[in-house]
Amino acid sequence: MRKAIAVLFLGFIGYYLLSTFLLVPFGVVRVLEGVGLKYLQDGLQQTGAANLVTSIVVNYRGFDTLGEVTVLFLAATGMGALLYSKRPTERARQNASIIVKTGARILFPLIIILGAYVFIHGHLTPGGGFQGGAIIASGFLLMFMSYRTYHVNHVILSRVESSAGSVFVIIGLLGLAYGSSFLANILPLGTVNTLFSAGVIPLIYVAVGFKVGAELTALLDTMLQTVK
Amino acid sequence: MYLDPVLMIALPLFAAFLIPPLARISKGLVKYVPVLIIGFNLYEMVMLLPHSMVKPVIVVIAAWAPPLGINLTIGPLGNILALIISLVGFVVAIYNIRFMEEEPNEKYHMLFLLLTAGATGMVLTGDIFNMFVFLEITSISSYALTAFLRDRDGAEAAFKYLLIGSLASTFILLGIALIYATTGTLNMAQIAVRIKDVDPRIAIMALILLVTGFGIEAEMFPLNGWAPDAYSQAPTPIGAAFGGIVVKAGVYALARLVYTIFDFQGIFHFILIAGIITLLIAEMSAIRQKQLKRMLAFSSIGQMGLVLIALGLATTRGVEGGLFQMFNHAMIKPLLFLSAGYLVFYSGSKNIEDMDGMGRVKPLLSFFFAFGAFAILGLPPLSGFWSKFIILSETIRNGFIAIAALALFGSIIEAVYYLRVVGRLYFKAPHEGLHVQYVPKSALVAMGILAIITLIAGLYPDFVMVYLKPAAAELLDKTVYIKSVLMAGL
Repeated sequence: MRKAIAVLFLGFIGYYLLSTFLLVPFGVVRVLEGVGLKYLQDGLQQTGAANLVTSIVVNYRGFDTLGEVTVLFLAATGMGALLYSKRPTERARQNASIIVKTGARILFPLIIILGAYVFIHGHLTPGGGFQGGAIIASGFLLMFMSYRTYHVNHVILSRVESSAGSVFVIIGLLGLAYGSSFLANILPLGTVNTLFSAGVIPLIYVAVGFKVGAELTALLDTMLQTVK
Repeated sequence: MYLDPVLMIALPLFAAFLIPPLARISKGLVKYVPVLIIGFNLYEMVMLLPHSMVKPVIVVIAAWAPPLGINLTIGPLGNILALIISLVGFVVAIYNIRFMEEEPNEKYHMLFLLLTAGATGMVLTGDIFNMFVFLEITSISSYALTAFLRDRDGAEAAFKYLLIGSLASTFILLGIALIYATTGTLNMAQIAVRIKDVDPRIAIMALILLVTGFGIEAEMFPLNGWAPDAYSQAPTPIGAAFGGIVVKAGVYALARLVYTIFDFQGIFHFILIAGIITLLIAEMSAIRQKQLKRMLAFSSIGQMGLVLIALGLATTRGVEGGLFQMFNHAMIKPLLFLSAGYLVFYSGSKNIEDMDGMGRVKPLLSFFFAFGAFAILGLPPLSGFWSKFIILSETIRNGFIAIAALALFGSIIEAVYYLRVVGRLYFKAPHEGLHVQYVPKSALVAMGILAIITLIAGLYPDFVMVYLKPAAAELLDKTVYIKSVLMAGL
């Protein structure tokens, strides 16, 4: 009986939500009003980034991105605090087959390179620091899965994490010191569509890439240590 | 002389990123980092006060003027609340110096620093999505801190909080999506201008989603199921921080929504009724509690109910009273939690009946608790009296006599359970075999600061009210807020 009421209630909420969201016309170009239009018209000249999504994420709304980086950092820290134990449990998982092991060894460097490519070219092509970092962490996950004894050095990961996060804030503070405001661009914009363009955007995205990659890898390792 | 206000968010994040390497150099230094950084925030907020009282201080970020970029909008209300948050954060950080000494304590201080920074960001930002990001920072650090002692009860409380909190985040995100889809902007001042032209069906849905989401953080009934467990199972200073920091940010978001962004008169009655139900149910639950910290948690919910009643009145004097109540609650509830933490520690039990005779064993600690109890239940001339008096008299003046009577009834229940504890502290013989040690000086200093502020606010309520009046005016007349933000964009 209680379950039936709960399902009915959820159904009602779902229906109400859906019917409201259907009132917002779908597929119609609505960027012609609001800030979206300004981003589309002036984004390229103002930020010098060929990838407009990146210029919004890292430049116009860079403060949000700093917050999101902190959210991920918090999640990793919180997980580390909750799963903290004085002596880590030894992993008792089985070794993978020779095919997986060999494949992983060959793929691992390629995955790392792909991840680095994605975050270094974040201002030119689709992708960016978060995506590149996640790709790098997936490379490490492959290694964890294939090799039972594969370990990462937590001290190094934590150093990478801290310095990458600090670089983001320092770039912001330099903007405050030498530009007009926090996170303001202080570098020349360069030629659009070249690697060295878009001012501080690539620098921030490289820092984010390192940070996300290190954080997710450390997170995976911490979680794997708790499963027998 | 104040520095760029964005440093109040940038520096805590910077410090949090640098805590892990610092902890490897010296474990002992880490616990002073939150004191230093939040102390800086406190200084900034005090220095900004004379400026923001005159007109809102707009801080542009990444060189893009609003609405193109994100900005901080520091009006009287944001400034006062950030001041309260920094003050409570500073005091709790002092208390923390000798509180958490075992591993992994550097993570504890880091999470606490980010909790404060997130709440500060929430009350200062002028962008609704940015507010969501800071809410995430605040709530994720709260989840981790609730379970920090790594015991069964803490994990259960944290998991409950995590589930409800994630639901809140989802609702808020959906609400923001609706707003952005229809107004094409995320800047709160510009939304406030454009919301008139939005299809009312969509606007109401957005309002419902956002009020539900932020109502969870503001402990509004029936969305406050997480609070009693989280308050009582978290480490003591974190329970204090929930009452003084997290809830305040949630109530601010709620007030900003219904007063500035949206324009529905009907919502105020809803908040008024939600407030009185929250108050009554919380007070009736509090009197039945056997554990001291759980009782304080329910009392905290009840106090928030009173604040909601005041905000639901939507009159100048009512909002002033509500803000004063928030100020008082932010000072007194941490005082009660911090002293209760050591009372529980020395009696070796969480139960109220084991607090017998602590007044003789630990006179100063018990005095702080009793002082806080008297202040919060509104014994004149302590500060709780003035805020309750303003809210109740304003409720009656607006013709809500039944609500005022019920709120008064709630206050009587409150007096009963607080006085019961105080009576046990002083008029019962202490149990045998108590292992009483000295309370660390840092903890006594922290409680002393809160007690002195409470005393001053009670003896000279006008000193606080001077600053609360412009804050209430900011809520009731949104044109100043909107104009100052949009002028910065020209």
